[in-house]
Amino acid sequence: MDPILALHNLEYRRGDQFTLNIGQLDFQPGRIYLLAGPNGAGKSTLLQLLGLLLPPDRGEIRFAGTVVQGGAHRQRLRRQVTLVEQSPFMFDGTVYDNLAFGLRLRDVRGDLQRHRILSALEKVGLQGFESRQARLLSGGETRRVALARAMVLRPKVLLLDEPTAGLDRDSLPLFESCLAALPGEGVTVIISTHDADQSRRLRGEVLRLEAGRLISPETVESAITYRAVKGSF
Amino acid sequence: MDFLTESLRAALALILTLDAEVVGAVWTSLYTSVAGILLAAAVGIPVGTLIGVGRFTGRRAVLTLLNTLMALPTVVVGLVIYGFLSRQGPLGALGLLFTPVAMIIGQTVLSAPIVANYTVAAVAGADPRIMTTALTLGAGRLRAAWQLLLEVRFGVMAAVVAGFGRVIAEVGVAMMLGGNIRGYTRTMTTAIALETSKGEFAFGLALGLVLMTVALIVNLFLNLLQQR
Amino acid sequence: MRTVPGAPIQTKGFINREVTKVKKLGILSTLLVLSLILGQSAIAAERLRMSTTTSTENSGLLKVLLPPFEAQAGCKVDVIAVGTGKALKLGEAGDVDVVLVHARKLEDKFVADGFGVNRKDVMYNDFVILGPAADPASVQGAKTAAEALAKIAEKQAPFVSRGDESGTHQKEKELWQAAGVTPKGAWYVEAGQGMGEVIVMATEKQGYTLADRGTYNAFKKAKTNLVIVFDGEKGLFNPYGVIAVNPQKHPHVKYDLALKFIDFITGAEGQKIIADYKVDGDPIFFVYR
Repeated sequence: MDPILALHNLEYRRGDQFTLNIGQLDFQPGRIYLLAGPNGAGKSTLLQLLGLLLPPDRGEIRFAGTVVQGGAHRQRLRRQVTLVEQSPFMFDGTVYDNLAFGLRLRDVRGDLQRHRILSALEKVGLQGFESRQARLLSGGETRRVALARAMVLRPKVLLLDEPTAGLDRDSLPLFESCLAALPGEGVTVIISTHDADQSRRLRGEVLRLEAGRLISPETVESAITYRAVKGSF
Repeated sequence: MDFLTESLRAALALILTLDAEVVGAVWTSLYTSVAGILLAAAVGIPVGTLIGVGRFTGRRAVLTLLNTLMALPTVVVGLVIYGFLSRQGPLGALGLLFTPVAMIIGQTVLSAPIVANYTVAAVAGADPRIMTTALTLGAGRLRAAWQLLLEVRFGVMAAVVAGFGRVIAEVGVAMMLGGNIRGYTRTMTTAIALETSKGEFAFGLALGLVLMTVALIVNLFLNLLQQR
Repeated sequence: MRTVPGAPIQTKGFINREVTKVKKLGILSTLLVLSLILGQSAIAAERLRMSTTTSTENSGLLKVLLPPFEAQAGCKVDVIAVGTGKALKLGEAGDVDVVLVHARKLEDKFVADGFGVNRKDVMYNDFVILGPAADPASVQGAKTAAEALAKIAEKQAPFVSRGDESGTHQKEKELWQAAGVTPKGAWYVEAGQGMGEVIVMATEKQGYTLADRGTYNAFKKAKTNLVIVFDGEKGLFNPYGVIAVNPQKHPHVKYDLALKFIDFITGAEGQKIIADYKVDGDPIFFVYR
């Protein structure tokens, strides 16, 4: 079984800040991965590269075994890879409009569209929110709408940049249970996070990034040891 | 003071009785300016979006060029186009000089840089997350750019309104390219120029009042947009 | 594109629809503009373009002279009123079909250079010297127009010139030459504008100017308090000529229609209209008998 995403000899230079340098990194389908590391390590950039929003300076990215080539190819594949940004942007309109955006692009209309949107909202605990103005929501509600907006598209890979940072304690369990349920639907989830226990709660594999380089992929157990040794997550 | 009040009274009479010449001039002004701004928008908005979103060598030079084009005196624009449209010029065979079409072309050339420039500002000042969000949700570049324009639509509308304000009130291009032909290419502004040269202040004032009303409406609209 | 099992079905639907919308708008506007341009050429068959001077247009004669011709010939006459120089230049360039001006020397050159054909005399009026009622330069006693101007120069009384190579300006230059004076100084103002503006300017300055009687008559009721201080001399004669633009130089001009127009205004009907035209009871133009 091909890895759903594979990076090989990847290099990306972000101005003066750092150069992302990854020899080999595979993501197996239907698993959860957590990207950990200090601020400025390149987590967001890596997510953008994985989200096929940026072309790497050097090296190759493979999606389900095929090498990703060129802007048009990236654009086609973005139908299957979706990134939720750290501070999600809401389009001007209702929550429904925001969720419908991607569905309309994929020609999902009418009753099917409505059904998928409403069930996605229910999953994130925002039932009844479809007519609300998306820009007027609280921070936590916005994050949940952004998650629903991505989930409703049923991508093969879902990337999230610090999705639970600043989320209120009550909403956290629901949010994480949504994420935890995704592998069951065949979705690969890659999250960047500062939350040390999250990998345990989500039962995911931890990848540690520092100054643009992978320290080492770790299993859940060794992550705890690592934390003890390094003193940070 | 008497002179002004007398002229004002005569002017209002001309407006209220819908004097044929006044109505004709107003209509010509309106339809040439509207046609001109529509064409300018069709050119200026895409160009402005491309420049606003794009990153390419010479971008700064292009922006400087746009600013210069915006500031060109109307008589200069009129003169250059005149050179093209006159029978002696390269496009002379089209016989467009001294027709409303020539005026529309002139208005388009005048207002397109304004529309483009304001669009660049609107687009460049927009939240960069608009494009990335649209793209990651599966949109192509064109659809993402369209979403961007939707999100900054008030800025784009302001661009169009600004361009319209410039062309409805100018006289240089309309005069040179239209020829101020009675009943055909006579606009509010060229009529004012003519009537004041004949000393017909009442008529000139009447048209001036209508023009000021149009300008007022345009500016009110612009204000409304800027507040959103 | 290799299909991945479970991937959402990729139809072309939405994006193409958006692009189609924009394309449709673009095609529609292009069609609109094209039809406007082509429409112009279609209606062009019924429009005769004439360049003339601002004073001719301002006299109001054309408002009564053109409609009967337009009705008979089944066309519209587009009048482009500019300075004499530009009126003739438009004829040279072929941007108009017929020219109506009052500058004999320039008209003759126009024909001699091959730009115009079939020049005909149409009508005449005369020039007058205007000045303030008080007449500080004592122009009213002068025996010739040249002498009148010499007196103005001597007194350095304010004088406003057309300064725009118009027929009026040409006449003024001839008179200065005859008077042996080169007008220079703060008292001599070259306005570079039309007759109306110049009369208004001279009124403001309470100075002198050379004007055609037609424009003066149109202005004397309400727009100026200057009076005629000198007139009646043969040298102030101001004849108008009409010339068709040479079809050999510019094959696209409406030569036949231009000839029809020339025949009309020099014919019985046109001449009568010209002779009968009055502003506030005063005739403006005179016809040859």
